[in-house]
Amino acid sequence: MEPIIHIENIHKHFGTVHALRGVSLDVEKGEVVLIIGPSGSGKSTLLRCINRLEEFDAGRIVVDGIPLDTAENINAVRTEVGMVFQQFNLFPHLTVLDNITLAQKLIRKRSKIESEKIARQLLEKVGIPEKESYFPGQLSGGQQQRVAIARALAMNPKIMLFDEPTSALDPEMIQEVLDVMLNLAKEGMTMVVVSHEIGFAKAAADRVILMDGGQIIEMAPPEELFDHPKEERTKLFLSKVL
Amino acid sequence: MTITISKSSHEKKVARFDNWWFLVIAVIALLLILIFLVPDPYQRIFVFVQNGIGTTISITGISFLLVLILGLLVALARLSKSWIIKGVSTVYVEVVRGIPMMVQLIFWYFAFPSVIQNVGKWLNIQAFIDYRANPVAMAILGLTIGYAAYMSEVYRAGIQSISRGQMEAARSLGMTYIQAMRYVILPQAIRVILPPVGNEFITLLKDSSLVSVVAVADMTRRGREFQAAHFLPIQTWVMIALLYLVMTLFATRVVAWMERKFKMEK
Repeated sequence: MEPIIHIENIHKHFGTVHALRGVSLDVEKGEVVLIIGPSGSGKSTLLRCINRLEEFDAGRIVVDGIPLDTAENINAVRTEVGMVFQQFNLFPHLTVLDNITLAQKLIRKRSKIESEKIARQLLEKVGIPEKESYFPGQLSGGQQQRVAIARALAMNPKIMLFDEPTSALDPEMIQEVLDVMLNLAKEGMTMVVVSHEIGFAKAAADRVILMDGGQIIEMAPPEELFDHPKEERTKLFLSKVL
Repeated sequence: MTITISKSSHEKKVARFDNWWFLVIAVIALLLILIFLVPDPYQRIFVFVQNGIGTTISITGISFLLVLILGLLVALARLSKSWIIKGVSTVYVEVVRGIPMMVQLIFWYFAFPSVIQNVGKWLNIQAFIDYRANPVAMAILGLTIGYAAYMSEVYRAGIQSISRGQMEAARSLGMTYIQAMRYVILPQAIRVILPPVGNEFITLLKDSSLVSVVAVADMTRRGREFQAAHFLPIQTWVMIALLYLVMTLFATRVVAWMERKFKMEK
Protein backbone atom coordinates (compact mmCIF):
# COMPACT_ATOMS: atom_id res chain seq x y z
CA MET A 1 0.00 0.00 0.00
CA GLU A 2 1.13 3.54 -0.72
CA PRO A 3 2.32 5.37 2.38
CA ILE A 4 0.03 8.30 3.23
CA ILE A 5 3.06 10.53 3.83
CA HIS A 6 6.09 10.05 1.62
CA ILE A 7 9.13 12.19 2.43
CA GLU A 8 12.09 11.80 0.14
CA ASN A 9 15.53 13.25 0.77
CA ILE A 10 14.45 16.64 2.14
CA HIS A 11 16.99 19.43 2.59
CA LYS A 12 16.36 22.73 4.28
CA HIS A 13 18.65 25.66 5.04
CA PHE A 14 18.02 28.57 7.38
CA GLY A 15 20.65 31.01 6.14
CA THR A 16 23.89 29.15 6.77
CA VAL A 17 22.33 26.52 9.03
CA HIS A 18 21.65 23.21 7.33
CA ALA A 19 18.49 22.35 9.28
CA LEU A 20 17.44 19.20 7.42
CA ARG A 21 20.09 17.04 5.78
CA GLY A 22 18.43 14.58 3.47
CA VAL A 23 15.58 13.25 5.59
CA SER A 24 13.42 10.45 4.17
CA LEU A 25 10.42 8.97 5.91
CA ASP A 26 7.29 7.03 5.02
CA VAL A 27 4.25 7.03 7.27
CA GLU A 28 1.50 4.45 6.71
CA LYS A 29 -2.19 5.18 7.06
CA GLY A 30 -3.28 4.86 10.67
CA GLU A 31 0.25 4.97 12.01
CA VAL A 32 1.29 7.08 14.99
CA VAL A 33 4.85 8.35 14.70
CA LEU A 34 6.60 10.26 17.46
CA ILE A 35 9.64 12.42 16.75
CA ILE A 36 12.03 13.25 19.56
CA GLY A 37 15.40 14.95 19.63
CA PRO A 38 17.33 17.85 21.13
CA SER A 39 16.25 21.40 20.32
CA GLY A 40 17.57 22.52 16.96
CA SER A 41 17.60 18.94 15.69
CA GLY A 42 15.15 19.79 12.90
CA LYS A 43 12.16 17.82 14.23
CA SER A 44 9.70 20.73 14.16
CA THR A 45 11.04 21.87 10.80
CA LEU A 46 10.45 18.39 9.37
CA LEU A 47 6.90 18.38 10.72
CA ARG A 48 6.21 21.84 9.29
CA CYS A 49 7.46 20.71 5.87
CA ILE A 50 4.69 18.11 5.70
CA ASN A 51 2.01 20.81 5.25
CA ARG A 52 4.48 23.19 3.68
CA LEU A 53 4.38 25.81 6.42
CA GLU A 54 8.11 25.56 5.88
CA GLU A 55 9.47 25.55 2.35
CA PHE A 56 12.19 23.03 1.64
CA ASP A 57 15.16 23.51 -0.65
CA ALA A 58 15.43 20.04 -2.16
CA GLY A 59 13.60 16.74 -2.05
CA ARG A 60 10.03 15.64 -2.48
CA ILE A 61 7.00 15.22 -0.23
CA VAL A 62 3.81 13.47 -1.32
CA VAL A 63 0.82 13.50 1.00
CA ASP A 64 -2.09 11.18 0.23
CA GLY A 65 -0.99 11.00 -3.39
CA ILE A 66 -0.68 14.79 -3.78
CA PRO A 67 2.84 16.15 -4.33
CA LEU A 68 3.61 19.40 -2.50
CA ASP A 69 4.48 21.51 -5.51
CA THR A 70 1.92 23.99 -6.83
CA ALA A 71 0.05 26.45 -4.62
CA GLU A 72 -3.16 24.59 -5.46
CA ASN A 73 -1.76 21.25 -4.32
CA ILE A 74 -0.34 22.78 -1.16
CA ASN A 75 -3.76 24.10 -0.23
CA ALA A 76 -5.34 20.75 -1.08
CA VAL A 77 -2.87 19.01 1.24
CA ARG A 78 -3.49 21.54 4.01
CA THR A 79 -7.20 20.80 4.00
CA GLU A 80 -6.37 17.10 4.55
CA VAL A 81 -3.74 17.70 7.21
CA GLY A 82 -4.65 19.13 10.60
CA MET A 83 -2.01 20.87 12.68
CA VAL A 84 -1.75 21.58 16.39
CA PHE A 85 0.81 24.10 17.58
CA GLN A 86 2.82 24.51 20.75
CA GLN A 87 1.32 27.99 21.32
CA PHE A 88 -2.23 26.83 20.38
CA ASN A 89 -2.64 29.76 17.95
CA LEU A 90 -6.37 30.04 18.50
CA PHE A 91 -7.92 33.14 16.96
CA PRO A 92 -8.26 35.44 19.98
CA HIS A 93 -10.94 37.67 18.44
CA LEU A 94 -13.35 34.76 17.88
CA THR A 95 -15.30 32.64 20.32
CA VAL A 96 -14.45 28.98 20.75
CA LEU A 97 -17.35 28.04 18.50
CA ASP A 98 -16.34 30.52 15.79
CA ASN A 99 -12.75 29.30 15.97
CA ILE A 100 -13.98 25.85 15.04
CA THR A 101 -16.55 26.87 12.42
CA LEU A 102 -14.58 29.53 10.49
CA ALA A 103 -12.53 27.25 8.23
CA GLN A 104 -15.43 24.80 7.86
CA LYS A 105 -17.58 27.56 6.40
CA LEU A 106 -14.83 29.07 4.24
CA ILE A 107 -13.20 25.94 2.89
CA ARG A 108 -15.61 23.06 3.36
CA LYS A 109 -18.50 25.37 2.39
CA ARG A 110 -20.65 24.05 5.21
CA SER A 111 -23.68 25.98 6.40
CA LYS A 112 -23.62 27.79 9.72
CA ILE A 113 -25.96 25.22 11.25
CA GLU A 114 -24.01 22.25 10.00
CA SER A 115 -20.61 23.60 10.99
CA GLU A 116 -21.88 24.52 14.46
CA LYS A 117 -23.30 21.05 14.90
CA ILE A 118 -19.94 19.52 14.03
CA ALA A 119 -18.16 22.00 16.29
CA ARG A 120 -20.38 21.07 19.25
CA GLN A 121 -19.81 17.35 18.66
CA LEU A 122 -16.07 17.94 18.67
CA LEU A 123 -16.18 20.08 21.81
CA GLU A 124 -18.03 17.20 23.42
CA LYS A 125 -15.34 14.86 22.24
CA VAL A 126 -12.49 16.94 23.68
CA GLY A 127 -14.42 17.35 26.91
CA ILE A 128 -15.33 21.06 27.04
CA PRO A 129 -18.84 21.40 25.57
CA GLU A 130 -19.69 24.16 28.06
CA LYS A 131 -17.04 26.58 26.74
CA GLU A 132 -18.39 27.25 23.25
CA SER A 133 -19.17 30.92 23.79
CA TYR A 134 -15.94 31.74 25.62
CA PHE A 135 -13.05 33.58 24.06
CA PRO A 136 -9.67 31.80 23.97
CA GLY A 137 -8.20 34.24 26.47
CA GLN A 138 -10.72 33.08 29.07
CA LEU A 139 -9.60 29.44 28.90
CA SER A 140 -6.73 27.58 30.53
CA GLY A 141 -3.85 26.40 28.37
CA GLY A 142 -5.08 22.82 28.38
CA GLN A 143 -8.56 23.90 27.35
CA GLN A 144 -7.16 26.11 24.59
CA GLN A 145 -5.11 23.25 23.22
CA ARG A 146 -8.15 20.97 23.21
CA VAL A 147 -10.09 23.62 21.29
CA ALA A 148 -7.18 23.81 18.85
CA ILE A 149 -7.41 20.04 18.34
CA ALA A 150 -11.17 20.31 17.79
CA ARG A 151 -10.59 23.14 15.29
CA ALA A 152 -8.21 20.95 13.29
CA LEU A 153 -10.50 17.89 13.47
CA ALA A 154 -13.46 19.89 12.19
CA MET A 155 -11.89 19.82 8.74
CA ASN A 156 -12.02 16.00 8.76
CA PRO A 157 -8.28 15.64 8.25
CA LYS A 158 -6.73 12.34 7.24
CA ILE A 159 -3.53 13.23 9.08
CA MET A 160 -2.88 15.18 12.26
CA LEU A 161 0.42 16.89 12.98
CA PHE A 162 1.28 17.86 16.55
CA ASP A 163 4.13 20.29 17.12
CA GLU A 164 5.09 19.97 20.81
CA PRO A 165 1.44 20.16 21.85
CA THR A 166 2.10 19.96 25.59
CA SER A 167 5.33 21.97 25.90
CA ALA A 168 3.61 25.25 26.73
CA LEU A 169 1.25 23.70 29.29
CA ASP A 170 1.36 23.63 33.07
CA PRO A 171 2.08 20.07 34.27
CA GLU A 172 -1.44 19.48 35.58
CA MET A 173 -2.93 20.19 32.17
CA ILE A 174 -0.73 17.93 30.09
CA GLN A 175 -2.73 14.79 30.73
CA GLU A 176 -6.06 16.22 29.54
CA VAL A 177 -4.47 16.99 26.17
CA LEU A 178 -2.68 13.66 25.97
CA ASP A 179 -5.94 11.84 26.70
CA VAL A 180 -7.55 13.49 23.69
CA MET A 181 -4.56 12.49 21.57
CA LEU A 182 -4.66 8.91 22.87
CA ASN A 183 -8.31 8.64 21.89
CA LEU A 184 -7.53 9.92 18.43
CA ALA A 185 -4.77 7.36 18.06
CA LYS A 186 -7.14 4.61 19.12
CA GLU A 187 -9.64 5.68 16.48
CA GLY A 188 -6.98 5.08 13.86
CA MET A 189 -5.96 8.65 13.02
CA THR A 190 -2.63 8.97 11.26
CA MET A 191 -0.52 11.13 13.55
CA VAL A 192 2.95 12.62 13.46
CA VAL A 193 3.85 14.06 16.84
CA VAL A 194 6.87 16.07 17.90
CA SER A 195 6.95 15.61 21.64
CA HIS A 196 8.99 14.30 24.53
CA GLU A 197 6.01 12.67 26.22
CA ILE A 198 7.49 9.20 26.68
CA GLY A 199 4.32 7.93 28.33
CA PHE A 200 2.27 8.87 25.29
CA ALA A 201 4.86 7.26 23.03
CA LYS A 202 4.73 3.98 24.90
CA ALA A 203 0.94 3.96 25.00
CA ALA A 204 0.16 5.00 21.45
CA ALA A 205 3.14 5.29 19.11
CA ASP A 206 3.92 2.68 16.48
CA ARG A 207 7.32 4.15 15.84
CA VAL A 208 9.63 6.61 17.55
CA ILE A 209 12.18 8.60 15.60
CA LEU A 210 15.21 10.25 17.12
CA MET A 211 16.49 13.23 15.17
CA ASP A 212 19.73 15.11 15.66
CA GLY A 213 21.62 17.55 13.47
CA GLY A 214 18.92 17.54 10.81
CA GLN A 215 19.02 13.79 10.30
CA ILE A 216 17.11 10.74 11.47
CA ILE A 217 19.48 8.93 13.81
CA GLU A 218 17.34 6.03 14.85
CA MET A 219 13.83 4.76 14.16
CA ALA A 220 12.19 1.91 16.07
CA PRO A 221 9.06 0.86 17.97
CA PRO A 222 8.92 2.71 21.31
CA GLU A 223 9.84 -0.16 23.64
CA GLU A 224 12.83 -0.99 21.49
CA LEU A 225 14.08 2.57 21.13
CA PHE A 226 13.58 3.54 24.76
CA ASP A 227 14.77 0.28 26.34
CA HIS A 228 17.40 -0.94 23.89
CA PRO A 229 18.67 1.99 21.84
CA LYS A 230 21.31 1.06 19.31
CA GLU A 231 22.91 4.42 18.57
CA GLU A 232 25.21 6.22 21.01
CA ARG A 233 23.49 9.53 20.34
CA THR A 234 20.12 8.01 21.18
CA LYS A 235 21.48 6.70 24.47
CA LEU A 236 23.00 10.07 25.27
CA PHE A 237 19.77 11.93 24.52
CA LEU A 238 17.58 9.48 26.44
CA SER A 239 19.86 9.67 29.46
CA LYS A 240 19.09 13.39 29.61
CA VAL A 241 15.36 13.16 29.02
CA LEU A 242 14.27 10.07 30.93
CA MET B 1 -16.66 71.48 38.43
CA THR B 2 -19.77 69.93 36.96
CA ILE B 3 -17.66 66.95 36.00
CA THR B 4 -16.68 66.05 39.57
CA ILE B 5 -20.20 66.57 40.90
CA SER B 6 -21.87 64.32 38.36
CA LYS B 7 -19.14 61.71 38.84
CA SER B 8 -19.93 61.28 42.53
CA SER B 9 -23.68 61.24 42.06
CA HIS B 10 -23.95 58.27 39.71
CA GLU B 11 -20.47 56.97 39.54
CA LYS B 12 -20.64 53.92 37.32
CA LYS B 13 -22.56 55.46 34.47
CA VAL B 14 -20.47 58.61 34.37
CA ALA B 15 -17.21 56.70 34.64
CA ARG B 16 -18.05 55.23 31.24
CA PHE B 17 -19.06 58.57 29.79
CA ASP B 18 -16.16 60.33 28.12
CA ASN B 19 -15.86 63.68 29.92
CA TRP B 20 -13.94 65.22 27.07
CA TRP B 21 -17.23 65.53 25.21
CA PHE B 22 -17.73 68.62 27.37
CA LEU B 23 -14.88 70.28 25.50
CA VAL B 24 -16.61 69.62 22.18
CA ILE B 25 -19.84 71.01 23.59
CA ALA B 26 -18.03 74.05 24.97
CA VAL B 27 -16.49 74.92 21.59
CA ILE B 28 -19.83 74.44 19.83
CA ALA B 29 -21.44 76.68 22.44
CA LEU B 30 -18.82 79.36 21.87
CA LEU B 31 -19.47 79.20 18.13
CA LEU B 32 -23.23 79.53 18.62
CA ILE B 33 -22.78 82.41 21.03
CA LEU B 34 -20.64 84.29 18.54
CA ILE B 35 -23.00 83.61 15.64
CA PHE B 36 -26.20 84.55 17.44
CA LEU B 37 -25.10 87.17 19.96
CA VAL B 38 -22.61 88.95 17.72
CA PRO B 39 -24.20 88.37 14.30
CA ASP B 40 -22.20 91.21 12.86
CA PRO B 41 -19.69 90.09 11.71
CA TYR B 42 -19.74 86.42 12.90
CA GLN B 43 -23.01 85.40 11.32
CA ARG B 44 -21.96 87.07 8.08
CA ILE B 45 -18.69 85.16 8.13
CA PHE B 46 -20.45 81.90 8.89
CA VAL B 47 -22.96 82.33 6.07
CA PHE B 48 -20.14 83.23 3.70
CA VAL B 49 -17.97 80.19 4.49
CA GLN B 50 -20.91 77.79 4.88
CA ASN B 51 -20.48 75.96 1.57
CA GLY B 52 -16.76 75.71 2.32
CA ILE B 53 -17.61 73.60 5.36
CA GLY B 54 -19.33 71.04 3.16
CA THR B 55 -16.41 71.06 0.74
CA THR B 56 -13.89 70.48 3.53
CA ILE B 57 -15.94 67.63 5.00
CA SER B 58 -16.58 65.89 1.70
CA ILE B 59 -13.00 66.22 0.44
CA THR B 60 -11.70 64.87 3.75
CA GLY B 61 -14.29 62.07 3.85
CA ILE B 62 -13.81 60.85 0.28
CA SER B 63 -10.02 61.12 0.47
CA PHE B 64 -9.97 59.21 3.75
CA LEU B 65 -12.06 56.34 2.35
CA LEU B 66 -9.71 56.08 -0.62
CA VAL B 67 -6.70 56.32 1.70
CA LEU B 68 -8.02 53.41 3.75
CA ILE B 69 -8.26 51.24 0.62
CA LEU B 70 -5.06 52.32 -1.14
CA GLY B 71 -3.10 52.25 2.13
CA LEU B 72 -4.09 48.64 2.74
CA LEU B 73 -3.10 47.60 -0.78
CA VAL B 74 0.27 49.34 -0.43
CA ALA B 75 0.85 47.72 2.97
CA LEU B 76 0.13 44.26 1.55
CA ALA B 77 2.43 45.04 -1.38
CA ARG B 78 5.22 45.97 1.02
CA LEU B 79 4.75 42.68 2.86
CA SER B 80 4.79 40.75 -0.41
CA LYS B 81 7.42 38.10 -1.07
CA SER B 82 7.94 39.35 -4.63
CA TRP B 83 10.86 41.79 -4.61
CA ILE B 84 9.40 43.76 -7.55
CA ILE B 85 6.08 44.45 -5.80
CA LYS B 86 7.91 45.14 -2.58
CA GLY B 87 10.41 47.42 -4.32
CA VAL B 88 7.85 49.48 -6.23
CA SER B 89 5.66 49.99 -3.15
CA THR B 90 8.64 50.91 -0.98
CA VAL B 91 9.85 53.49 -3.51
CA TYR B 92 6.33 54.96 -3.65
CA VAL B 93 6.16 55.31 0.13
CA GLU B 94 9.63 56.81 0.43
CA VAL B 95 9.17 59.29 -2.43
CA VAL B 96 5.74 60.48 -1.33
CA ARG B 97 6.75 60.83 2.29
CA GLY B 98 9.75 62.89 1.26
CA ILE B 99 7.80 65.59 -0.61
CA PRO B 100 5.74 68.25 1.20
CA MET B 101 1.98 67.76 0.88
CA MET B 102 1.59 71.29 -0.47
CA VAL B 103 4.08 70.64 -3.28
CA GLN B 104 2.30 67.39 -4.17
CA LEU B 105 -1.07 69.14 -4.39
CA ILE B 106 0.36 71.88 -6.57
CA PHE B 107 1.94 69.25 -8.81
CA TRP B 108 -1.34 67.38 -9.33
CA TYR B 109 -3.32 70.51 -10.11
CA PHE B 110 -0.87 72.57 -12.16
CA ALA B 111 1.79 70.21 -13.51
CA PHE B 112 -0.06 66.94 -14.04
CA PRO B 113 -2.61 68.38 -16.57
CA SER B 114 0.31 69.83 -18.56
CA VAL B 115 1.94 66.43 -18.61
CA ILE B 116 -1.27 64.92 -20.00
CA GLN B 117 -1.64 67.68 -22.59
CA ASN B 118 1.95 67.29 -23.76
CA VAL B 119 1.59 63.55 -24.04
CA GLY B 120 -1.59 64.20 -26.03
CA LYS B 121 0.22 66.52 -28.46
CA TRP B 122 3.03 64.01 -28.80
CA LEU B 123 0.76 61.03 -29.48
CA ASN B 124 -1.91 63.18 -31.17
CA ILE B 125 -4.76 62.19 -28.87
CA GLN B 126 -7.38 64.94 -28.88
CA ALA B 127 -8.97 63.91 -25.55
CA PHE B 128 -5.61 64.37 -23.81
CA ILE B 129 -4.96 67.75 -25.47
CA ASP B 130 -8.38 68.99 -24.28
CA TYR B 131 -7.80 67.71 -20.73
CA ARG B 132 -8.58 70.26 -18.03
CA ALA B 133 -8.05 69.51 -14.36
CA ASN B 134 -11.01 69.50 -12.01
CA PRO B 135 -9.74 71.18 -8.84
CA VAL B 136 -11.74 69.02 -6.42
CA ALA B 137 -10.81 65.78 -8.18
CA MET B 138 -7.12 66.75 -8.23
CA ALA B 139 -7.25 67.73 -4.57
CA ILE B 140 -8.74 64.36 -3.65
CA LEU B 141 -6.19 62.57 -5.84
CA GLY B 142 -3.30 64.46 -4.25
CA LEU B 143 -4.46 63.94 -0.68
CA THR B 144 -5.17 60.25 -1.33
CA ILE B 145 -1.80 59.52 -2.88
CA GLY B 146 0.01 61.50 -0.22
CA TYR B 147 -1.79 60.06 2.78
CA ALA B 148 -1.96 56.44 1.56
CA ALA B 149 1.82 56.33 1.97
CA TYR B 150 1.53 57.17 5.67
CA MET B 151 -1.51 54.96 6.12
CA SER B 152 0.28 51.98 4.58
CA GLU B 153 2.90 52.24 7.31
CA VAL B 154 0.18 52.22 9.96
CA TYR B 155 -1.39 49.11 8.44
CA ARG B 156 1.98 47.43 8.06
CA ALA B 157 2.86 47.96 11.70
CA GLY B 158 -0.55 46.63 12.71
CA ILE B 159 -0.32 43.52 10.57
CA GLN B 160 3.22 42.81 11.74
CA SER B 161 2.15 43.13 15.36
CA ILE B 162 -0.01 39.99 15.00
CA SER B 163 1.98 36.89 15.82
CA ARG B 164 3.15 34.72 12.92
CA GLY B 165 1.36 31.77 14.49
CA GLN B 166 -2.00 33.31 13.57
CA MET B 167 -1.21 33.26 9.87
CA GLU B 168 0.25 29.77 10.17
CA ALA B 169 -2.80 28.42 11.96
CA ALA B 170 -5.11 29.94 9.34
CA ARG B 171 -3.04 28.62 6.44
CA SER B 172 -2.73 25.18 8.06
CA LEU B 173 -6.54 24.99 8.02
CA GLY B 174 -6.43 25.48 4.25
CA MET B 175 -7.31 29.18 4.10
CA THR B 176 -5.79 31.19 1.29
CA TYR B 177 -3.59 34.17 2.11
CA ILE B 178 -6.47 36.54 1.37
CA GLN B 179 -8.93 34.59 3.53
CA ALA B 180 -6.43 34.51 6.39
CA MET B 181 -5.92 38.27 6.09
CA ARG B 182 -9.62 39.00 5.85
CA TYR B 183 -10.88 36.78 8.67
CA VAL B 184 -7.93 36.33 11.02
CA ILE B 185 -5.20 38.96 10.71
CA LEU B 186 -7.01 42.21 9.83
CA PRO B 187 -9.79 41.92 12.45
CA GLN B 188 -7.06 41.68 15.08
CA ALA B 189 -4.87 44.35 13.48
CA ILE B 190 -7.75 46.86 13.45
CA ARG B 191 -7.77 46.97 17.23
CA VAL B 192 -4.09 47.81 17.22
CA ILE B 193 -4.20 50.45 14.50
CA LEU B 194 -7.39 52.25 15.45
CA PRO B 195 -5.65 55.04 17.44
CA PRO B 196 -3.06 55.84 14.74
CA VAL B 197 -5.74 55.61 12.01
CA GLY B 198 -7.83 58.12 13.93
CA ASN B 199 -4.78 60.30 14.19
CA GLU B 200 -4.26 60.14 10.42
CA PHE B 201 -7.87 61.16 9.88
CA ILE B 202 -7.50 64.25 12.05
CA THR B 203 -4.24 65.21 10.37
CA LEU B 204 -5.89 64.75 6.97
CA LEU B 205 -8.79 66.94 8.05
CA LYS B 206 -6.40 69.71 8.98
CA ASP B 207 -4.18 69.26 5.94
CA SER B 208 -7.23 69.48 3.70
CA SER B 209 -6.87 73.24 4.23
CA LEU B 210 -3.90 73.01 1.85
CA VAL B 211 -6.29 72.41 -1.06
CA SER B 212 -7.22 76.09 -0.81
CA VAL B 213 -4.10 76.85 -2.88
CA VAL B 214 -5.34 74.76 -5.82
CA ALA B 215 -8.60 76.60 -6.48
CA VAL B 216 -10.82 74.50 -4.22
CA ALA B 217 -13.33 76.62 -2.30
CA ASP B 218 -12.92 74.90 1.07
CA MET B 219 -13.31 76.57 4.47
CA THR B 220 -9.85 78.09 4.41
CA ARG B 221 -10.23 79.53 0.94
CA ARG B 222 -13.64 80.97 1.73
CA GLY B 223 -12.08 82.58 4.80
CA ARG B 224 -9.40 84.19 2.68
CA GLU B 225 -12.03 85.45 0.26
CA PHE B 226 -14.08 86.97 3.08
CA GLN B 227 -11.02 88.64 4.53
CA ALA B 228 -10.08 90.05 1.15
CA ALA B 229 -13.55 91.53 0.71
CA HIS B 230 -14.24 92.85 4.21
CA PHE B 231 -10.88 93.04 5.93
CA LEU B 232 -11.79 91.59 9.30
CA PRO B 233 -8.79 89.29 9.85
CA ILE B 234 -9.23 88.62 13.57
CA GLN B 235 -12.93 87.76 13.39
CA THR B 236 -12.56 85.75 10.18
CA TRP B 237 -9.76 83.53 11.39
CA VAL B 238 -11.20 83.04 14.86
CA MET B 239 -14.31 81.76 13.12
CA ILE B 240 -12.41 79.46 10.75
CA ALA B 241 -10.20 78.14 13.56
CA LEU B 242 -13.25 77.37 15.73
CA LEU B 243 -14.92 75.52 12.86
CA TYR B 244 -11.84 73.30 12.36
CA LEU B 245 -11.57 72.80 16.11
CA VAL B 246 -15.16 71.54 16.39
CA MET B 247 -14.51 69.00 13.66
CA THR B 248 -11.18 67.72 14.99
CA LEU B 249 -12.34 67.55 18.61
CA PHE B 250 -15.47 65.72 17.52
CA ALA B 251 -13.43 63.25 15.45
CA THR B 252 -11.08 62.65 18.38
CA ARG B 253 -14.02 61.73 20.61
CA VAL B 254 -15.48 59.38 18.01
CA VAL B 255 -12.14 57.58 17.71
CA ALA B 256 -11.86 57.31 21.49
CA TRP B 257 -15.39 55.88 21.60
CA MET B 258 -14.57 53.29 18.93
CA GLU B 259 -11.44 52.27 20.81
CA ARG B 260 -13.40 51.67 23.98
CA LYS B 261 -16.04 49.73 22.09
CA PHE B 262 -13.46 47.39 20.56
CA LYS B 263 -11.78 46.89 23.90
CA MET B 264 -15.07 45.94 25.56
CA GLU B 265 -15.86 43.40 22.86
CA LYS B 266 -12.55 41.70 23.56
